[in-house]
Amino acid sequence: MKDFFDTWKFKILVAVAVFLVGIMAYAGANGRLTAAPQELLSVVLTPFQKVSAALSGGVGSVWEKYARIDEVMDQNEQLEAENAELRQQMVDYDRIKAENDAYKALARIQDKNSEATYASAFVIGRDTMDEFGGFTLDKGTADGVAVNDAVISDRGYLVGVVVEADTTSCKVMTILHPSFNAAGVVSRTRENGIINGSSEYAGDGLCTLTNLERSCETHKGDQVITTGLGGVYPPDLLVGIVQEVVPEASGKSSIAVIKPGADPRTVKHVFIITDY
Amino acid sequence: MESRRMRSRSQILKWGCYVLALFVCAALQTTPGLFQLGQAKPLFILPLCLAVAVYEGEFAGALFGAVCGLLWDYTAGRTVGMLALELLLMCFALSVLVQLYLQGSTWNFALISMVTAALVLSLDWLFFYYMPGYSWAGSRWLTFVLPSAGLTLLPSLVLFRLVRRIHEEFKIDNGVV
Repeated sequence: MKDFFDTWKFKILVAVAVFLVGIMAYAGANGRLTAAPQELLSVVLTPFQKVSAALSGGVGSVWEKYARIDEVMDQNEQLEAENAELRQQMVDYDRIKAENDAYKALARIQDKNSEATYASAFVIGRDTMDEFGGFTLDKGTADGVAVNDAVISDRGYLVGVVVEADTTSCKVMTILHPSFNAAGVVSRTRENGIINGSSEYAGDGLCTLTNLERSCETHKGDQVITTGLGGVYPPDLLVGIVQEVVPEASGKSSIAVIKPGADPRTVKHVFIITDY
Repeated sequence: MESRRMRSRSQILKWGCYVLALFVCAALQTTPGLFQLGQAKPLFILPLCLAVAVYEGEFAGALFGAVCGLLWDYTAGRTVGMLALELLLMCFALSVLVQLYLQGSTWNFALISMVTAALVLSLDWLFFYYMPGYSWAGSRWLTFVLPSAGLTLLPSLVLFRLVRRIHEEFKIDNGVV
């Protein structure tokens, strides 16, 4: 083993380690999360994630099935009574129905904002290391997706924003993330604030509208929408409803705690606003 | 005794299998809800690269660990190179440990894999949850880091055997009896 430290192999390993430290420092300084080798890996990984997500989403998680094994076995006995052709037809029917529902939802959203263009996308990856519900979608730059595109649920509620776009996939930062920022307004009172995630509330799937005046008139049940200020998010996107209004720690302003209309932690299908 | 061409082909196939296993593991690790228990979810990429390091030696193992880490950095949305560097060092260290001190048995590996998982996840927790000062960082460690490391035991057992199978299937026959 002693000899290993004198070999060219060890020198190569040291060089790789130095290279990794270098790209880490470069990425940190430039605010990038991915590098060219990772983009290549992500292109190869996307089909695996699609298959895995489809299998998991189509038949329920294996873990869940294991936990409900008795129920699953009963269902299995019932299903065995049906013939194979009928089962296949049911699978096709379910898939077409889900697609139809998604496109109907898209049509409703497009009625509200007919000038915007949307890309339909499915969630294909979630890493549990991200406490704020960040996820990977199956659409990338090849489908017109770009960094800073807004992501909405199939009912039109703001879910997050694209932070990394690769050729065939993209990564989304959700509205629960403390780094998320969007100009928002309470639709009833027209009081402006900043929609952002909060480490305090993210665990419960809630986000906040900060910088409200101390004596604001907003109360529970008010709807929060985007204003479009800043140019990143389209105006009038639904965000969620106010659950409570609490004073900010310094006491100079108020914070409205928002329950998002769509839970970013469980959403499976979304639309990416590629242009508006 | 195999010809040089056959040996080369066999090695390419072996590493092809490892890379395929890596993508399958990455997909399993990021599939929403799959094998999830509360907040915790088992790691797949880490035990795979550690198992490869045990069988393929410190050099190839460390390089494979770096590639696995790059992919994990991407899926977890972490700064590029962070997990890659950690896995490079851990794969190297484990390979050296197995060559010098430890017996490369399945259960030894599974336990080391769990400890390594706890270490990697704790480092991530330290940098991304504890140091930013989140008030719920402590509970995050208890409800995510520890259970996830524990759940990694099962994939470790499976992946260690899988890597051993691949390694033996493509073992170089040098004619020595």
